[in-house]
Amino acid sequence: MKSIPLRILAITLLKELGLASLLLLGVSFVVFVILYAAPGDPFSVLLEGQLPSEQALAGIRAAMGAQQSWYGQYFSWLHNVLGGNFGTSLHSGLPVAGELVKVSLNTLYLTLGSMLVTLCIAVPIALYSSMRGHAVAISWPLTMLGYVFSALPVFWLGYIAIYVSVHGFDFFPLSSSGASDGNGWLYTLVPVLVLGLGSGTISEVIRYLREEMSRVMAEDYIRTERAKGASVWRHAFKEGLLLPVSEIIAAKIPFILGGAVIVEQIFNWPGMGRMAWQAAQDRDFPVIMGIALVAAIFVRVGSLIQRIVYTAVNPQGARD
Amino acid sequence: MRRSTRVKKYIQTSGEVSDFSKLPLHKKFSIPDLLYVGYGLLIVFLVLVSYVLGAFNLLPNDPQQINMDMLMAPPGTGGHLLGTDFMGRDIQSRLILGIQAYFLPGLLAIFISLSIGIVLGVLAGYRGGYAETVITYFTNLVDSFPRLVLILLVIAAFKPDIYYIMMVMGITGVPAVANAIAGKIRVLAQKNFIEAAIALGLRTRVIILKHILWYNCRALLIIQATLGMGEAILLETSLSYLGFGVQEPTPSWGNMVQSGANYFMQGNFWPSTAPALAILFTILGFNLLGDGLNNMLEGKRSR
Repeated sequence: MKSIPLRILAITLLKELGLASLLLLGVSFVVFVILYAAPGDPFSVLLEGQLPSEQALAGIRAAMGAQQSWYGQYFSWLHNVLGGNFGTSLHSGLPVAGELVKVSLNTLYLTLGSMLVTLCIAVPIALYSSMRGHAVAISWPLTMLGYVFSALPVFWLGYIAIYVSVHGFDFFPLSSSGASDGNGWLYTLVPVLVLGLGSGTISEVIRYLREEMSRVMAEDYIRTERAKGASVWRHAFKEGLLLPVSEIIAAKIPFILGGAVIVEQIFNWPGMGRMAWQAAQDRDFPVIMGIALVAAIFVRVGSLIQRIVYTAVNPQGARD
Repeated sequence: MRRSTRVKKYIQTSGEVSDFSKLPLHKKFSIPDLLYVGYGLLIVFLVLVSYVLGAFNLLPNDPQQINMDMLMAPPGTGGHLLGTDFMGRDIQSRLILGIQAYFLPGLLAIFISLSIGIVLGVLAGYRGGYAETVITYFTNLVDSFPRLVLILLVIAAFKPDIYYIMMVMGITGVPAVANAIAGKIRVLAQKNFIEAAIALGLRTRVIILKHILWYNCRALLIIQATLGMGEAILLETSLSYLGFGVQEPTPSWGNMVQSGANYFMQGNFWPSTAPALAILFTILGFNLLGDGLNNMLEGKRSR
């Protein structure tokens, strides 16, 4: 295997980092504009039970250091965020940044685990049906099953999982990460499995991988390898599996994060989705802004990794 | 091109000359695709009929009639075809009425995705250059938000109104449409007939509207619309499950699943399983219809 030209990798990394930060700047602006356009005053939440008089509101604004003009507000907020200060939750009064780190790690565990589950199911099916494209008898029911799992509402799948684990295996998966006894991690597998099966990505992953793998298997260089008696699998791996997997996973991250919102709700999982749900109910602006930003960072990091994998596999293609 | 090869194949196998359009359906398309599309069309038909029935209140039973003598009756008892829920209300009527929750908002979302997506896709694909850069930035920007998180943000900022939600849904659907159209135009631009149309002095408007969008992108747009409806249903049910959509006692499939949850844990599966199955079969129908049409019209064989 030839070594990957480091210079090209570094250039790609820099270019993609620049693009990602440009996009995140845009994300922060969109988030800000949406909340700025919101009717009512988020600070009136703090005066619950009182008639929010202009004076009281102005007092609170001054106390919390709110600027008057919209761009002033945006830049002071952006400045704080870049310094790692996401503000304090209007509801609990705690700093958002610390909470955000905690919940985003929980969500990361949930989403990465569920991706692994999805891949463990989808990759063998896709490979099997692309290697033996004409074995319709097996691959068609499997494809159908993928479709059914994609259309299955994940909340209902969650109920089934809870019911089965309570009545069949005699444990309660709701305590999730908070479980104190030794095998608490076992409980966390249930939500991970549910999200992996029910996030609605399985059938798309299968379809995409199968198409790409079939395309690669029909390429001339694979035919040459086959004629030479070399391992077809080793030569088809990079283009036929590694690239499509990284592409589809990067593209599906937003979708999986959306599914995580629901799964966290069912299993009482202390993650970003649950926090976002709570914040939406409380109109807790600093929290929901922070979550939207962190979610966007997840998405951008995913596509950054995908670009790096692509460059590592195909340094020539990255040059154009 | 695809058609001519298919026709050639047919000629080779049957030994007689025939026109592609006169071939029987099962020779033109693969059997699974026909089944997919057939099932999808059946679901679309059922949803349409149920929507109209619900709109004119032509329901088999009163969906709000509480009957404490018949709690969680199994399907088929006492004139309730699909049984009753935990308050003795007729599940079948509530399922039919639940379609009101997503049907019009879903259409609105599709309309927004398609109309903005077409404009941006044509600009990016046909014009290229500066416009393309800006549009790529915009689509990447929209794609950076998980849809549900963006919607929770909008709910926090405004109010949990289904039309706001579907507007966001429509805008987040724009990148898929725009990318598909732009990609298609890039392929078409290399073909001779576009060059010929330009050489003939046809107006750009005619080339784009007639030769690109109408002749070559209509299949793609129908597919996008179908898949969009599936996503809209998924989103509406998820949101009303989370408590941000339609509120009880107005039925929506999501809040029906949610309100049946407590009884589910006690072993009374039906009240929350019936709407879950309705969601499953409907989304399955729209997805299969979209993919089946994609395979048929875009010339991919499904395996």
